[in-house]
Amino acid sequence: MAGVWILAEGLESGRELINIGQTLAREQNSTLTAITWQGDLNQELIAYGVDEILLLPALPEDEPRQAYIPIIVERARLDHPEIILFSATLLGKELAARIAGQLGAGLGSECSGLRWIKEEAALEMERLFYGGAAVQTIRCRQAPRMATVSQRSFAPAERQEGRSGNVIELPAPPPSPVRVIERKSRTQTAGDIAGARVVVCVGRGFEKEASLELARQLAQALGGEIACTRPISQEVCWLSEDVCIGLSAKKVKPDLYIGLGISGQIQHLTGIRDARVIVAVNRDANAPIFAAVDYGIAGDLYEVVPQLLAILQK
Amino acid sequence: MPDILSCYKWVADEAYIRSGSSGALDLNMADYKISDYDKNAIEEAMLLTEKYGGNTAVITVGLPDDTKGVKDALSRGPEKAYFVNDPAFADLEPEQTATLLAAAIASPIPYDIIICGEGSSDLYAQQVGPRLAEKLGIPCLCYVQKVELDGSQLVAERKTDAGIEVVAVELPVLLTVVPDINMPRLPGLRDTLAAGKKPVTEFTADDLPQGQAALLQTTNSKVASITRSSRMFGTDAASIGDLVQELKNSGVIA
Repeated sequence: MAGVWILAEGLESGRELINIGQTLAREQNSTLTAITWQGDLNQELIAYGVDEILLLPALPEDEPRQAYIPIIVERARLDHPEIILFSATLLGKELAARIAGQLGAGLGSECSGLRWIKEEAALEMERLFYGGAAVQTIRCRQAPRMATVSQRSFAPAERQEGRSGNVIELPAPPPSPVRVIERKSRTQTAGDIAGARVVVCVGRGFEKEASLELARQLAQALGGEIACTRPISQEVCWLSEDVCIGLSAKKVKPDLYIGLGISGQIQHLTGIRDARVIVAVNRDANAPIFAAVDYGIAGDLYEVVPQLLAILQK
Repeated sequence: MPDILSCYKWVADEAYIRSGSSGALDLNMADYKISDYDKNAIEEAMLLTEKYGGNTAVITVGLPDDTKGVKDALSRGPEKAYFVNDPAFADLEPEQTATLLAAAIASPIPYDIIICGEGSSDLYAQQVGPRLAEKLGIPCLCYVQKVELDGSQLVAERKTDAGIEVVAVELPVLLTVVPDINMPRLPGLRDTLAAGKKPVTEFTADDLPQGQAALLQTTNSKVASITRSSRMFGTDAASIGDLVQELKNSGVIA
């Protein structure tokens, strides 16, 4: 089937793609196809709105997911989908770019908005660029129009009653030139900043590693997690890259973000733009971060944070 | 000993972006720089050749005026540069850049390893590296944070959504590297002087097969507006108390 394709890596991110994918498919009077390697999710994906499943076979243990690329490309050349959507995960972004490279297709990266322009048969995509300092709107008219979709940009699709759909099994891919030697899960020493309600973030305003204790105490007092800017994880290596916030690192959406000693480079601000309330403490009153906050204190964090702690612990 | 080719893009520095009439993106005041993540790509090539031997070169696609970028790239250590330039190469999209790079590399330029940054600091589409690998028909490893060579085999650690994958592949290969793979060196005066004497091979549109037509049309670009109140508080206990009360009122702390 042509129509709209999504690549469903899992149910959670898959439901977001189903939502926008189904909207786009309806506007084209076409159908929604999901490519997946998660055979156990077939019926779930159909129940949430997929009309047809293209099921990829299991891979040998030492093969990476990227091994599927030739099979997906081959099927796309046969079926001519109008649109192909991926979640903007690390894997989704790589698969999309490589498949687009093979198909010579236009691809919008990490889109937060998607719209079908009927009169032009164009997929309109909205995304950030220049480190998040600017917003770009692009249109792609030539099929397959491809996009990676920023996670949590669309609500997950709801379950629909009485749905059915076909499952088509795709052939096994040729052996991958890349062999997986080992898979390591992310170290669980660091907290989960992406899901935290409160994030206390430290920047270069901290003069020594020992003073991070101040930030830890504040995070603890607020039931939050500690995070950092790129220089803290990369240059002085005081905290793990897993808790680094920014365009090319983690993006967070807490209720409360408190930035301590952070000047506010645009790449960092892009990582916090969806926080509900942003507070910053920084010595330099002209620091760019103050333009991006709800509340600010221009002062020495070594003086302000202890006072803040005293009030919170009262 | 490997031939290593690093790709870079000469981009407008986002720090100079101004908002023009009705929020339109104004780049007239912008200074240019080597895309931040591409500095890691060049540095990784230098680190690998310092460890294993071999040759380093850089390649870029840009406008004929972008010679400052070529010199900047060479000051970071590589021995030579391939400068694919033409007045027509303005505002290229990833598919066009990858097609031009692939055509120049096929001319041929010797390589065992091609290294790209994980994305450019202007578009950050993260597409040119992976698309280039597909056009050259070579294996591709993205989001690499560590590289080792063992003869003709490359072993890399790459970031995945779940953690880390350690993978092995036979050369040639294309890598995209994450910013925490290394700390790019700062070129000194001597490096800058030496860069001016290094060989630069140019390619223009006439030297390459007909390019790819644009697939994407930018219909709007504007400065991202931040709509937060930026209310400032003093550093005395009473003011900090007011801030805490404000946070309680908005329901973000108990």
